[in-house]
Amino acid sequence: MLGRGAVLSDPEELLVYESDGLTLFRALADFVVFPTSAEHVSAIVKLANREGLPFVARGAGTGLSGGCLPAEGGIVISLMRMNRILEIDYENQVAVVEPGLVNLHLSWAVGQRGYYYAPDPSSQQACTIGGNIANNSGGPHTLKYGVTTNHVLGLEVVMPDGDIVWLGGKTRESFGYDLAGVFVGSEGTFGVATKVCVRILKKPQAVKTILAVFERVDQASAAVSAIIARGLVPAAVEMIDQLTIAAVEDAFGCGYPRDAAAALLAELDGLAVGMDAQVARIVEACRDSGAREVRTARDETERQLLWKGRKSAFGAYGRVSPAYMVMDGVIPRTKLPYVLSRVNEIVAGHGLRVGNVFHAGDGNLHPNILYDPRKPGEEARVVEAGAEIMRLCAEVGGSISGEHGIGLEKADFMPFIFSAADLEFMHRLKRAFNPTGRCNPGKIFPTRKSCGEAGPVAYRPHPIEEKGLAQRF
Amino acid sequence: MDIAVLDKLRAVVGPANVLSDVDLAPYVVEGRTPEAALFPGSVDEVRAVVEIAAGADVPIVPWGGGTAAAVGTPAPRAGLVLGLRRLAQLLEHEPGDLTATVEAGMTMATLQSALRARGQWLSLDPPDPEQATIGGVIAANASGPRRHLYGTARDLLIGVTVVTGDGVVVRGGGKVVKNVAGYDLPKLFVGSHGTLGVIVSVTVKLRPLPDDERLVAVVFDRSKDAGAAARAVMGSDLIPNALELVDAEASRALGLDSAVGPGGCALIVGFDGVGEQVEWQCGELGRITAPLGGRAVRPLPEEAWTRLASAARDAFDPPAAVMRLIVLPAAVTEAIEHGASAARQRGLRSAWSCHAGVGVITAALASSGALPEPGPIASVLHDWRALARAAGGHATLDWAPLAVKSAVPVWDDAGAAGRIMQRLKASLDPHNVLNPGRFVAGI
Ligand SMILES: Cc1cc2nc3c(=O)[nH]c(=O)nc-3n(C[C@H](O)[C@H](O)[C@H](O)COP(=O)(O)OP(=O)(O)OC[C@H]3O[C@@H](n4cnc5c(N)ncnc54)[C@H](O)[C@@H]3O)c2cc1C
Repeated sequence: MLGRGAVLSDPEELLVYESDGLTLFRALADFVVFPTSAEHVSAIVKLANREGLPFVARGAGTGLSGGCLPAEGGIVISLMRMNRILEIDYENQVAVVEPGLVNLHLSWAVGQRGYYYAPDPSSQQACTIGGNIANNSGGPHTLKYGVTTNHVLGLEVVMPDGDIVWLGGKTRESFGYDLAGVFVGSEGTFGVATKVCVRILKKPQAVKTILAVFERVDQASAAVSAIIARGLVPAAVEMIDQLTIAAVEDAFGCGYPRDAAAALLAELDGLAVGMDAQVARIVEACRDSGAREVRTARDETERQLLWKGRKSAFGAYGRVSPAYMVMDGVIPRTKLPYVLSRVNEIVAGHGLRVGNVFHAGDGNLHPNILYDPRKPGEEARVVEAGAEIMRLCAEVGGSISGEHGIGLEKADFMPFIFSAADLEFMHRLKRAFNPTGRCNPGKIFPTRKSCGEAGPVAYRPHPIEEKGLAQRF
Repeated sequence: MDIAVLDKLRAVVGPANVLSDVDLAPYVVEGRTPEAALFPGSVDEVRAVVEIAAGADVPIVPWGGGTAAAVGTPAPRAGLVLGLRRLAQLLEHEPGDLTATVEAGMTMATLQSALRARGQWLSLDPPDPEQATIGGVIAANASGPRRHLYGTARDLLIGVTVVTGDGVVVRGGGKVVKNVAGYDLPKLFVGSHGTLGVIVSVTVKLRPLPDDERLVAVVFDRSKDAGAAARAVMGSDLIPNALELVDAEASRALGLDSAVGPGGCALIVGFDGVGEQVEWQCGELGRITAPLGGRAVRPLPEEAWTRLASAARDAFDPPAAVMRLIVLPAAVTEAIEHGASAARQRGLRSAWSCHAGVGVITAALASSGALPEPGPIASVLHDWRALARAAGGHATLDWAPLAVKSAVPVWDDAGAAGRIMQRLKASLDPHNVLNPGRFVAGI
């Protein structure tokens, strides 16, 4: 069907596909296949149905919730050979691409003409548009520009029964139920996307980046609200805490004051006219909230240096701890001061340390719990602390995932934020797309079956991190 | 409806909140009088009403402000109107979070003024804000000119609470602006026209009010040139919040009819931001459009925003039909030219307005006389749909008399996706009690 070299079944080779970016979970596929067309995918899915095998789509495998694992064995459908850009329509500001295209490659392709693809997960040098769609991925700039779903217009999908169907299309609006809208974020359980229509945006005329330094974390949190209260929607507002700043400075020296309790990195973009007035407003908001220092990058080099501090945080953790685990939760912005202090208490209560570096502007936390996998019981304590943090997010009216998805990792946490009726409704929705449940089984819903030889294993950096291509948030 | 059923319903919501017989006049849709209209005062009452009606096999018609009540295939049975007007509280507005949770029956105008008092707004500006309710706007996926920059309900709705056809309260999404836990249920209810659940409350993302906002018009003698100008603006550094084209007929609603000659067109552009940004962009707009035949940039009054949202529809009183055509943004002027000429060929006048940057066109046909002949109207509508399709898009018949609807399907053919929609409806509303028979693919 697919030709030679497009099917793996040797256990050695299958090992490469047993995990994604979250190495806590592992599951072995029976086969990994590499289709090059929607017709291939359709034929594979039909075969799987005939043979009663489960199947799951896989992009670059950078997911952080175990979403692309073959939890019950079966076929892993790798989309990595379907990575072409099929059409770029500048006039209508739409691109049609295959799902295996690497996120950043799209921005590269349209960059020459002054355009870009807005969703910018930190893994964008490796992760695929298909994986982004399944997880509704975000990034630092989603504060202003929205997440993946706000940029997807239509999809060609191989349904779980093998039918090839278009949901939405190139136009800005479709009619009937928003099937493309519900497909995005369905974590590969509604079928396999084989073509994608996404919006491309004009690059902004001007960009300004501001660093604000605080003596107290609650001042930095207050500044986030103060910026918003002044009528501004920055492109990004990121927060970095003391442990992280110290680690970054030790490792790379990006010019952040080592002794600061927290720093905010805010970015404004848009028209060149009026930019200075807006920058002044941010500076003022930070000062009024008690910032001891506020600095605006004077040029691109300085701007890159400020971002380097933010982006190299992960590498820096590697120098102060043998391992760490990233959490992903969301809270209402106004709850930041309370939640951050509780997170610190929770982690300390488990005898561990935490570094926070996250999308403060939209309340998307990423506590990174540092630990040593060689010390017996530490990893289990990390997992416990993580669960408590998720419960905390739920308690303050937040969510248990802002961008990494539920996958295998958080299926059991779903009842923290959803009632049995909510979950039953989602189940019914799933049945409409995926009645046999063969498409990516075992995910999202809190009915986890045992998955292979899963169990706590030592932390391993993802290959793209080892190559220095990406940071883990 | 069985009298015993009606009695049960009365007991739930109280007799004062049930309308029957002559009082039902405002709820008559396409000549059909509903069997009763009920106005529950709590989510629990909504739940109880749905349970009773579903148990008695009476179709339920969720009703906000009624502005989109006539959208859809004529109902096979009038059913029970379930009005949300008593669920109209702003439940939560935390300015620092830029979110609000509001009951479905609050009108857009009331919601916006409550938000405005605290320096924020919901960036959704559909027509008829005094009547349209937030729940109805979401269910009908209504939008206005500012969607050019700020998107539609799907981009703003982050949480939804509904009562399903089996009388169960279900919550989807949440209260935070970023959230990927579980399926994106809010998307499901946007544009679902009451067929999957009765929306009882929603949580939306808000924006701070801009310092300044201005709406300006540039008049062109030829619509082709206006289209080229719209594309030039899209390719420029300008960041308009609205980019609209209106033809001569539709420009009447904006008081621009003396400026726009036959065959001409006005390009209407909105800008917001800090004062100097608005100022600079208005100047740039003149520089970009003048070489393409644009006459002077003239400011429009504040009221023009709301008029703009329904400019084509309001060109004729009443129109003989209103259709929405969705095409690629670059194809709008061609669609308008061909569409207007198709109407002329059948001896009918038409009015056109569109959100040029997103390719969403509204076209209205004038009625000639009190009882217009449905034949020519239907033929024009067929032509319009055909040209939308030829341009890679589709068309929805937003409003037409019954005689026309019987000749022209309200919804386009959804093809294979329509079958998924049918499965979805069957799975989520298994007893088929929510607004049955009115939606896409016979749903
Ligand atoms: C260092 C690092 C940094 C990260 N930073 C961010 C970040 O800033 N923001 C963020 O949101 N995420 C981030 N992530 C998480 C991850 O990169 C994203 O979830 C990404 O979208 C996954 O893409 P992928 O191609 O690797 O998908 P995979 O991991 O291969 O798969 C993810 C999910 O997508 C499904 N899937 C893949 N392709 C398809 C398809 N064609 N059709 C249907 N389903 C499909 C899979 O079944 C699975 O459920 C990061 C991960 C790492 C390792």
